[in-house]
Amino acid sequence: MKILVCMKQVPQKDAPLKLNEAGTWIREEVSYEVNEPDAYALEEALRQKEKHTGEVVVITSGPARSQQVLREALAKGADRAIHLEDDAFVGLDAFNTAKAFAAAIKDEQFDLIFTGLQSDDYGFAQTGVILAELLGWAHATIIMQIEKTEAGIRVKRELEAGYFQYVDMPTPAVLTIQSGINKLRYATLIGIKNAKNKPMRKVAMAEVASAIGPNLQKIERLYVPQKSKQTQLLEGSPGEIAKKLVDKLRNELRAI
Amino acid sequence: MAAATTPSQKIAGGSFLLETRQPCEVFTPEDFNEQHQMILQTADEFAAQEILPNADKIEHKDFSVSRELIRKAAELGLSSVDIPEAYGGMEMDKVTSCIVADRVAVYAGFATSWGAHTGIGTLPLVFFGTEAQKQQYLPRIANGELTTAYALSESSSGSDAMNCRARAELSADGRHWILNGEKMWITNGGFADLFTVFAKVDGEQFSAFLVERSFPGFSTGAEEHKLGIRGSSTTPVILNDCKVPKENLLGEIGKGHVIAFNILNIGRYKLGAACVGGARIATKQAIEYAKQRKAFGKPISDFGLIREKLANMAIGIYAGESIVYRTVGMLDAALSNIDKSAPDAARQICKGIEEYAVECSILKVWGSEMIDYVADEMVQIFGGYGFVEEYPAERAYRDARINRIFEGTNEINRLIITGFLLKRAMSGQLPLLPAIKKLMDEVMAGPSFGDADESAFAAERSMVTAAKKLTLFAAGSASQKYMQAMPDQQELMGAIADMVIESYAMESCLLRAEKLAASKTDAAAKLPVAMTQVYLAEAMEKVESRARKVIAAVAEGDMMRTQMAILRRLGKHEPIDTIPLRQMIAQRVIEVGKYGV
Amino acid sequence: MADTILVVVEQQQGKLNRASWETIAAGQTIAAATGWALEAAVVGASIGEVAVEVAGKKLAKVYAIDAVVLGAYTPDAFAVALKQLVEAIQPKLVIMPHTYQVRDFAPKLAASLGRSLISDCIAFRKDDTSGQLLFTRQMFQGKFAADVTFQSEAPWFATFQNGSFRGDHAEDGAAPAPVEAFAVTIADGVVRNKPEAWFKEAKAAVDLTQAEIIVAIGRGIKEEKNIAIAQALADALGGEVAASRPICDNGWLPMDRQVGSSGQTVAPKVYIALGISGAIQHVVGMKGARAIIAINKDAEAPIFEIADYAVVGNLFDIVPPLTEEVKKARAGA
Repeated sequence: MKILVCMKQVPQKDAPLKLNEAGTWIREEVSYEVNEPDAYALEEALRQKEKHTGEVVVITSGPARSQQVLREALAKGADRAIHLEDDAFVGLDAFNTAKAFAAAIKDEQFDLIFTGLQSDDYGFAQTGVILAELLGWAHATIIMQIEKTEAGIRVKRELEAGYFQYVDMPTPAVLTIQSGINKLRYATLIGIKNAKNKPMRKVAMAEVASAIGPNLQKIERLYVPQKSKQTQLLEGSPGEIAKKLVDKLRNELRAI
Repeated sequence: MAAATTPSQKIAGGSFLLETRQPCEVFTPEDFNEQHQMILQTADEFAAQEILPNADKIEHKDFSVSRELIRKAAELGLSSVDIPEAYGGMEMDKVTSCIVADRVAVYAGFATSWGAHTGIGTLPLVFFGTEAQKQQYLPRIANGELTTAYALSESSSGSDAMNCRARAELSADGRHWILNGEKMWITNGGFADLFTVFAKVDGEQFSAFLVERSFPGFSTGAEEHKLGIRGSSTTPVILNDCKVPKENLLGEIGKGHVIAFNILNIGRYKLGAACVGGARIATKQAIEYAKQRKAFGKPISDFGLIREKLANMAIGIYAGESIVYRTVGMLDAALSNIDKSAPDAARQICKGIEEYAVECSILKVWGSEMIDYVADEMVQIFGGYGFVEEYPAERAYRDARINRIFEGTNEINRLIITGFLLKRAMSGQLPLLPAIKKLMDEVMAGPSFGDADESAFAAERSMVTAAKKLTLFAAGSASQKYMQAMPDQQELMGAIADMVIESYAMESCLLRAEKLAASKTDAAAKLPVAMTQVYLAEAMEKVESRARKVIAAVAEGDMMRTQMAILRRLGKHEPIDTIPLRQMIAQRVIEVGKYGV
Repeated sequence: MADTILVVVEQQQGKLNRASWETIAAGQTIAAATGWALEAAVVGASIGEVAVEVAGKKLAKVYAIDAVVLGAYTPDAFAVALKQLVEAIQPKLVIMPHTYQVRDFAPKLAASLGRSLISDCIAFRKDDTSGQLLFTRQMFQGKFAADVTFQSEAPWFATFQNGSFRGDHAEDGAAPAPVEAFAVTIADGVVRNKPEAWFKEAKAAVDLTQAEIIVAIGRGIKEEKNIAIAQALADALGGEVAASRPICDNGWLPMDRQVGSSGQTVAPKVYIALGISGAIQHVVGMKGARAIIAINKDAEAPIFEIADYAVVGNLFDIVPPLTEEVKKARAGA
């Protein structure tokens, strides 16, 4: 199986984020990490390859710093990487990102493309589905399990309220992967050592520029959300706080 | 990347006192290449997901957990960074080795076991083993099947290890060494499979042996009840007519000291790295606590005296990183030219490391005193909660203390620092004496008024220069008086060592800050620059006080007064207001919730 | 043709998803701000009754896209069917609830028309001076909000997060809206996925939606064994233990105790969040709680944004005495 995994670099979960002067984006001087669902998507791709043989290729778009996620993926076992390298990729909407990816892989023939369910920065949850539409492929989202079948694949989709569903589908296909589908592996030192010699194709903005157009949506303003609720702050020693909470539970919330 | 930022020519050990270095000549954590970064991340993840969740079990001496973690670490390659590829190891640079030691140090109980296994337990074999010995053991050490230990100390010989009583005699049939004696304070004693044991052949010739736990006559005693690092195993090793195959002699008969001293050098720089790692997590926990603990209606992290502590803790980590990675950067540069396939490669590596014995000892002394300070302040920030076992400060405090004792006490290491420099000076290997003479001439010539240096970091550079001059001046005055008898003047040796240590730390901080300022945005460089400024101010006071102590001891009357005047002139610098600097540092570390560089 | 807004409601086996009412309420709000007409579409098989139910709301028209092939949801069939409707009636704006099903086909639908979807919105506003329609969505895990505009020609597509509008605010119409059948052509071979029936994993699953009091834990619980602390509090209060996703991913609690976008949506009387930072994925599942008590050592945690009672502190210090106090109070009461 030949699998492409779309990955993204996002600010670290606990990184304190600050708005830029213009209030349109965050200040860039933060630490970054792999978008969590993408890490699961990679892990799943590696497991599929281990089961069925094949190739795992990873792709990302973004400035030079985002190469880090590709290197990590190579260290964990991906075979090669494609980096759409330009600062401007960060500002693309989901439609354009998908178009850029589609253009970058036009000469490749993948059986499957995995993306994480959504990104921790924009949170669009769209790029994978749009990519499927652009390629004319079938897709399924929020995947918890993948099995190869005679005709294609059988996947387990997560639905709301604790429900699941199996879906049989043909390949090639795009799947968006849910966090927790598997247990992530570490990058081993030997893997890290070998990653250096794995191919990394750089794709400049100019190479895909003709495939993309103006963004179809625009962030007018980014801001710290207004609090909608009045919050009572309870303070004191643990014992005092416990007493105060019980008082609230009994007298204001009538829960005791 | 590392190659481009560190000098290709070898820098002589101890030469930092005499020569001026440029920022581009030192290696810093900012020079970690992509591979270093990824290994750091793997080590961090391993620490967070495997070590910390198991800390309680290990602390209660469930050593099967320690062994399993050592095996898991081996699976990832973390345990075999220093083992050659030919024997199943990763064979990576010393920067990597320190990155791993630093990051694994989140929990001292395990870090001690792991450090003993990967460091002093394994390296004697790596450097001094025969081909057959290495084939026999290293692959199984690299994959975590075997764990190792190092048995040097005895009940009556610690710092003077060569004075050991354990004996080895060749058996009648000439096929075995028969070992007798008792070793003390053996880390991993309770579970290690392979021990490097030191004993004197025929009671005279100090030698090393590879001893398996399974050998007849080998046993270990009861676990020691220790003040700290309770999660590590420490037992005596008892050799009762222990039969060791003849081919398990490590190195040459009578050359055990070569092994012992070289391995200690390595142990020391790695210990320095581990101290930085320990301080990193202690600081993080202290910040977390200070942010959520309230007093007088606000978090205690708002209070100046708490902020001052948090700032100092972070500065400790910054300075620690600066000296550790500068030193291993030099080691790597020195070792990079060695042909690893040469038959004497291991010896050359040892020699390369020995070149930096002073720097290695500095890392050990400075790092262990830094983490002791950090752990102490951590307890203080936790207040009453710092004194009870339910909170992490109590254990951190107890765990930190051993670092000043093992791998050569800090007293021994101070004597090594000054002694090694003086020895090199006498032999002419290090042009210390001409430098001292030049300084004396300069002093006699009176003050000069050159053009004021108004470039960035001019004040900081002149302070570092002043610290080095004071050190040379004090060392020169003392050795003029005592000549060959200097080594007996331990108090003076110690005071001079302090000055050497601080000079190295000050310069390392400054070079790193300069390098950062040149490569990063002003905003990103602001924090390390402030840390450097505060560190320099504090260290300079220490250097001056030690210089006064030395001068007062070696001169009297008018001579003393003249020398004190010189001392004042050499050490002259404008005081800086460190309060706003520390406030800024504290603000930043509180914001990010950890050491923030 | 007058400008219209099309609400695509969601139904499963003839039962309307509650989020549909919220989306109708959203549509009514936007219609009021823009003066555009509001229409709705129901997609599925045998959906006549649902269409009539929807037509009770204040709407200009309800389209019923009824076809056997739409009976079991597939992204291919839904995207193609709705594309045909959108092309035929050319609405200015198409809005949908941000459910798992909509997430599965809406980006495809918009892309197939060469248009953009603003997903997971929580609010809508028309700027008085510029006349722009601003859609508010959360970014960076809820740390920031963004006002987003469309930059293309209509039709525009947007989805609204659960709970962004109140379903009970959806106004009834004076008279039922006309229901118009809209026939779609879905050729053989268009639908590629073969879905099977829904199923639940855990047997004897706890029904968190029925719990009056929920004690929920997040990453801050640190270790599996610490769950006992939360369980003790839940027991003392007569409530249930729930968790955010990472806890269930770790296998520390079964999946059916997970609250959030991929787990249960709950609205208990009291929701006590222990060591939960408040990522949106969790918050969407519990923000409907009548009262939220949050205990977290990070004063900046987003959970405090929605908490009614906030305790900044170490849960391991606070919860055990709290459990004791609760026990005392209940014994006394």
